[in-house]
Amino acid sequence: MLAIDNLHVTVDGADILKGLTLAVPAGEVHAIMGPNGAGKSTLSYALTGREGYEASKGSVMLDGVDLLIMSPEARAAKGVFLSFQYPLEIPGVPTMTFLKAALNAQAKARGDADVSATEILKRVRARAQELRISPEMLKRPLNVGFSGGEKKRMEILQMMVLQPRLAILDETDSGLDIDALRIVADGVNALRSPDRAMLVITHYQRLLDYIAPDKVHVLVAGRIVDTGGPELALALEKDGYDKYLAAA
Amino acid sequence: MVATALPTRRTEAWKYSDLARALPGVTLPTPTDAARIIEALAGRVVHIDVAPGENVVSVDRFSANAMEARAFTAHVKAGATLTRVVVQTASDGVPLGAIRVRLDAGATFRQFIYEEGARLARFETEVSVEGEGAHVELNGVYLVDNGRHADLTSQIIHAHPGGETRQLIKGVARKGGRGVFQGKILVAPHAQRTDARQNHHALLLEDGAEVFAKPELEIHADDVQCAHGNTVGGLDADALFYMRQRGLPEPQARALLIEAFLGEAVSAALPEELRAEIMQRIGSWLGESQ
Repeated sequence: MLAIDNLHVTVDGADILKGLTLAVPAGEVHAIMGPNGAGKSTLSYALTGREGYEASKGSVMLDGVDLLIMSPEARAAKGVFLSFQYPLEIPGVPTMTFLKAALNAQAKARGDADVSATEILKRVRARAQELRISPEMLKRPLNVGFSGGEKKRMEILQMMVLQPRLAILDETDSGLDIDALRIVADGVNALRSPDRAMLVITHYQRLLDYIAPDKVHVLVAGRIVDTGGPELALALEKDGYDKYLAAA
Repeated sequence: MVATALPTRRTEAWKYSDLARALPGVTLPTPTDAARIIEALAGRVVHIDVAPGENVVSVDRFSANAMEARAFTAHVKAGATLTRVVVQTASDGVPLGAIRVRLDAGATFRQFIYEEGARLARFETEVSVEGEGAHVELNGVYLVDNGRHADLTSQIIHAHPGGETRQLIKGVARKGGRGVFQGKILVAPHAQRTDARQNHHALLLEDGAEVFAKPELEIHADDVQCAHGNTVGGLDADALFYMRQRGLPEPQARALLIEAFLGEAVSAALPEELRAEIMQRIGSWLGESQ
């Protein structure tokens, strides 16, 4: 479903991704692990079309469609969702208003009918409850004044409401205590589906105790240098990235 | 400075707004101080008296494609409230407004100015706190696009103790538009316990947009709380990307952010229908000038 082939990305003149190749079939959850500076966040921005993270070489196809030529909003409408490592605060825009605007913008881009306000409200409230997000929080401007954990739960709420085809979770566990981690992981697990692929980007193995990946890839110096099952994450936790760094 | 010619940018009080250039050939009937130009052009000054405990709302609309100069004085007596709303829209005029307000003890002056700019638009506000515990709320938004000039100039004099000022001005400028904010707050030596906040924030939406800001706090008392903030910058690129990642097309994401930015300065205390009108005007300005 997602096929990344020989992807090269240069950021501010530095080569960050240097020929990354990766495939994630529908229905699978893949983890990408790597040390700081390996290119993990660059990969998430390159996949979502952030300015300054354009590919200089290689291709990214989602369901056979070239993502790299699309705008960030077109990719979103195609079903690409990024749970940000540092979710942005959007002052003055209530969370509910934002979700409604996002949902309907995507529907419009796909040529679907608008989702009614009551239907959205119903959908959001049910999901919010699962994530222990209060109705009060939904009225407040998105992420403004929220704690780190609240922001991460808000990302998962948006993911649940938008129902993406490809979900990318960038360091979703950072800043979460163990209870919040469990809530977030339950939310992610509930979204596992034969129609959906997930890419879980993480520095630590901790999150993978809760979200069991089908495959683990090791990203070092801009390339995937190893791929294995969940046992690979455990080995990394024990031995670190040294042997890969030495080889890179 | 006293003269019969209109002020140019060489006159300190008009340094960002060249009135002589906006009104070629116009002169003043009598020699006039630079701080009283609008009164002189208006020809007459309308006085508003707000009796103790009364609550008056005044709406002043400027929508002609010609020079429109209006001047007011107001005396808001003990415990009374004057709410003034100015709505300025036409593009090719020279709308000029001036109001000088005296506040007695416990009186409130609340003002909101909506300014789309014109060949030259300028609104002057002078408030003098002359009784204990008076409240001043001066809010405003300006939205300027190509060829438009919007000037908000104010002076608040806290001459008595325990007064409170809240000033929040927000502006957006597109290419070729020019915004001006000049705001002075003066706290006299005996005006202890004054609590004054002044904020002006502007967004430059495109290259070639201009905003000039001259915030001034002059404090002569020692037991006061005064703060001011002034920023001029662009839209937050990270927030824009975040919104686009969620599927909002760029123009819609920009409009939402700008609307939210300006909305903070649209006083919640305005009568509901006026607040709705202002928000609707902001929405259509953003829609039209995209």
